Amino acid sequence: MSYGSTIKVPFGPQHPALKEPENFLFEVDGEIVVDVKPRIGYNHRGIEKAFELRTYMQNIYLAERICGICSDAHTTCYTQAIEELLGVEAPPRAKYIRVIIAELERIQSHALWVGIAAHEIGFDTLFMYVWRDRETTLDMFEMITGNRIHYAMNTIGGVRRDIHADMVPKIRNGLDFLEKRLRYYLNAVQTEQTILKRAAGVGILKSKDAVDLCAVGPTLRASGIMNDVRVDDPYVAYDEIPFQVIVRDGCDVLARILVRCEEMLESIEIMRYALDSMPGGIVKVKAPMKVPQGEVVSRVEAPRGELIHYAKSNGTTKPERYKVRSPTLGNIPALCKMLLGGYVADIPIVLAGIDPCFACMDRMAFVDAKKNKKWNWTMQQLRRKYAKK
Amino acid sequence: MELDNAAVEEEVCKEMTGEIIVSMLKILVFPGALFLFVLAFFYEWVDRKFFARVQNRYGPLHTGLHGILQPIADFFKLLSKEDITPHSSDKITFILTPIFYFALPLTTLFVIPILNQKSLIAFEGDLIFVIFAFTLIIITVFLAGWSSMNRFSTIGSMRAVLQMLSYEIPMGLVAIGPAIAAGSLSISRIVEWQSPNFWLILIQPLGFAVFTICLLAELQFVPFDIPEAETEVVAGWRTEFSGRKLALLRLGRDLELLLVSALIASLYLGGPQQFWLIPPIVIFLLKTTFVVMLLSLLRAAFARFRIDQILSGMWKYLIPLAALQIILIQLGLGR
Repeated sequence: MSYGSTIKVPFGPQHPALKEPENFLFEVDGEIVVDVKPRIGYNHRGIEKAFELRTYMQNIYLAERICGICSDAHTTCYTQAIEELLGVEAPPRAKYIRVIIAELERIQSHALWVGIAAHEIGFDTLFMYVWRDRETTLDMFEMITGNRIHYAMNTIGGVRRDIHADMVPKIRNGLDFLEKRLRYYLNAVQTEQTILKRAAGVGILKSKDAVDLCAVGPTLRASGIMNDVRVDDPYVAYDEIPFQVIVRDGCDVLARILVRCEEMLESIEIMRYALDSMPGGIVKVKAPMKVPQGEVVSRVEAPRGELIHYAKSNGTTKPERYKVRSPTLGNIPALCKMLLGGYVADIPIVLAGIDPCFACMDRMAFVDAKKNKKWNWTMQQLRRKYAKK
Repeated sequence: MELDNAAVEEEVCKEMTGEIIVSMLKILVFPGALFLFVLAFFYEWVDRKFFARVQNRYGPLHTGLHGILQPIADFFKLLSKEDITPHSSDKITFILTPIFYFALPLTTLFVIPILNQKSLIAFEGDLIFVIFAFTLIIITVFLAGWSSMNRFSTIGSMRAVLQMLSYEIPMGLVAIGPAIAAGSLSISRIVEWQSPNFWLILIQPLGFAVFTICLLAELQFVPFDIPEAETEVVAGWRTEFSGRKLALLRLGRDLELLLVSALIASLYLGGPQQFWLIPPIVIFLLKTTFVVMLLSLLRAAFARFRIDQILSGMWKYLIPLAALQIILIQLGLGR
């Protein structure tokens, strides 16, 4: 159905479906979306500049605070980069502990996402149930690391705490409970008619488009492309652990839900294997404060997809330049493609479908596209320009 | 003789005043407005508590016993809040619609038998009046959203009307079922007919199912809460309402829930009946509580549909089912 003329509907930066500030300008023909213009950069935190002002040790805690949900992925990526610059390697036991924490975080993050997706399609009961069971993972985090959200587990040269023998049976109990519940939800998602009606065939992203638009993580794997940093470029102890990369070729929101549900089950298997075959020994080696000159790129498979950190050191105790590319940024072009041709009512679930974490993604740069110019401003210059006169 | 006449007149006058006072009390206090308010708040609590327990939450907890006074507390809190009328809204409509939205279900409740098998106001054809009132409620909703002049309100009110186009016809169709069985279009007579015979749910289960689904859509409960889908259109047609207006809208919604559950209880579950020594009103309350719990259970068990899915689903499945029920009744099954 066409009405001949289109109307522009802004979505965000404040909108109930978006928990973070981001703006999408939709061009709508009746109920159909015909054009999307994303406008990112509302949440500039100056985090890359902040990296340059702090020492390497302080930066671990800064990296932790890039994202509240996948904080461990960021510290793993950071410590990995710095360890490579230093030529230090974490002990094998520390590597296994990093795997356990990373996979537990993946379960936590995906469970959170399943709840949000259920809320977006109005299924609040599923939302409440999933989040209730997600508490188990947070309790396990509290037991292992002492914290429920920002775990502060990684440090340069290893991890801060060991997993003691008396923790292992408790972790196993938690995993058994989670597995039982997750199988139930996986079954519910595949059989509940109203979920299928809202998720199947919605937000289509074909395999070719997914590759062309550089989608990452579960979004890419739900479009039938096998891509996982844990396999392609194994870090920590992933090369020693056998596991399956979950791929679905549904290309729609339903496939994205299923990929994440099955990934949670796979994470449970990885954790069990890691607990079984964890080597003994120390968990931390001493690392020097000064980092030799050099630059490094580090990659990690965060719950949302491929996370890239870049560090450049100049031989002092502080990095000269630090760059973070969070997975959400990689998914934005693909997201715009998914939204095209869809219904207005499907916008929230398709948007949520990439598991967006806009606050981690937003950076700011001054550019003039016409003059092909780039520049930097200090805080004072910014204030002079934008503060109330 | 003259004296006698005057005495008789005085007597008649007294009697009439007494009657007027009694009927006034009936309408205003019991089983009229005041009783209905209390009942409406009580059912909001039942709905909220049951819905929360189904979702493994606590629900209202602190105000009164198990939070039973929470809806009343919410109501009075909203009354004391700042009442905003948006600058660009159509002010008269915007102010009047909450009053209509609250008055319509209240008035309609008078034709439903509560105290005994005779309602406060009963006339031949009040079933049609109830269905007409349901339509008027949605038209009020449309006006409320439209007069707010808010993007989300406008979308919400358009969706409400679209949804009405889908469920109104099957609802009207199946509502005829009980009327055919009882041979009357009066709800009181349908209730009376069920008491020596049997509950209509037993012989018209299909009609009961279709009617419940349609009323779920009328109440805008999940999976039919499209006009106020919070992740899509904020609060839908209610976005701009605040303070006293929102309090009235909420009370109107509670009364609507009461109306819907009372209507289902009367048409399909026999309404107020005398069981041994238990008075009819207790039976009525039990039945309506059951219906409210059924509605909240349904709203906990589904995800929200999309508006086009509702429209096509209702026309494709519910209308044929409703027609099938009427055909079955005409063939002699279920009367």
